Amino acid sequence: MDKKIYLYGLIPAAEADQQPLPSVEGFDGEGKLYTFPIDDITAVVCDLDPNEYAEESIEQKINNDLEWLQKKAFHHHEALTLLYNNYTVIPLKFCTIYNSEESLQQSIKSNGDKVENSFQLLKGNEEWNLKIYCDEDQLKQQVSQNNTTIEEKRKEIKELPPGRQFFERKKIDHLIEKELDKEKDRLCDHIHEQLKTYAVQADVKKNWGKDVTGLKENMSWNSVYLLPVAKVEAFLAKVESEEKGLDGSGLRLEASGPWPAYHFSSFS
Amino acid sequence: MSSLRETVENKEVGLIDILDVILDKGVAIKGDLIISIAGVDLVYLDLRVLIASVETLVQSYENDQSGVTSDNFDEQRRELVDATGQPNKWTD
Repeated sequence: MDKKIYLYGLIPAAEADQQPLPSVEGFDGEGKLYTFPIDDITAVVCDLDPNEYAEESIEQKINNDLEWLQKKAFHHHEALTLLYNNYTVIPLKFCTIYNSEESLQQSIKSNGDKVENSFQLLKGNEEWNLKIYCDEDQLKQQVSQNNTTIEEKRKEIKELPPGRQFFERKKIDHLIEKELDKEKDRLCDHIHEQLKTYAVQADVKKNWGKDVTGLKENMSWNSVYLLPVAKVEAFLAKVESEEKGLDGSGLRLEASGPWPAYHFSSFS
Repeated sequence: MSSLRETVENKEVGLIDILDVILDKGVAIKGDLIISIAGVDLVYLDLRVLIASVETLVQSYENDQSGVTSDNFDEQRRELVDATGQPNKWTD
């Protein structure tokens, strides 16, 4: 059976010719990364043993060997960061593995235009991420004190006979929860709309649960922006000022970047 | 004074930040994480499996606080500097 090929990223051949690839250890810790030219595109890859890296065995590892997952995820990230620092790069997702050189070649050749478009898009632009975390107890307090819907409900309850007040108060807790979610979405959405104005492209991604982040706060927003390099500083200043403006609301903004453009580049 | 950019760039990123980006589209689009591009010759992984793995990982961190932090990295670096007697080219 052929060797398998782990694909890290794609770089323009002209850039690859100008600057030799730095020496980086491969995914298996034995081989090295090397370049694989396909027309005007240079793929950065490493070889993998076909038996050791069969689909089932990778899945098995991810299932049972967390250290392995963590080590390899970091390896992938570090290799791409190095490429990103040296070239215009289309990063591939973790564990993009081809069964043979031919299938790699074929897949890249048939997507040549998309690759070229991505290279053009990435020139002079950077990918940045924003996550918003929410201390819900704190925001709940604010909502509970300042929300007109809840205020009105409270007034209504005061007029009721004592027996009914008890049940209506229970309902108000439920109402607060609902208003909390609304308020959270409203605040995050407002921030996103502001930040979008700096970006060439922007997207909202999925939030991760507390179990995954290991944080006490909930992730309330996860978005990604493709920013012209010259606008990054202003974007970050806006993040900072938006956060200051939210003081006391329990929302915390966390920007990170620049990342290799995992989100805004693609070739399939 | 350093720029905001430098400050953010030098901030430590966690495993979740890295997984969030390196798995980007797999996570964003559907439940099953497609860690690959096309058809038969690529590796597919189940997102639920991966999420479960990360959950366990986070829990094991919570139980064991002696993981890699910039503090203990700094401490180790100082020890190395002392041990080698080399001048410290990193400023504290």
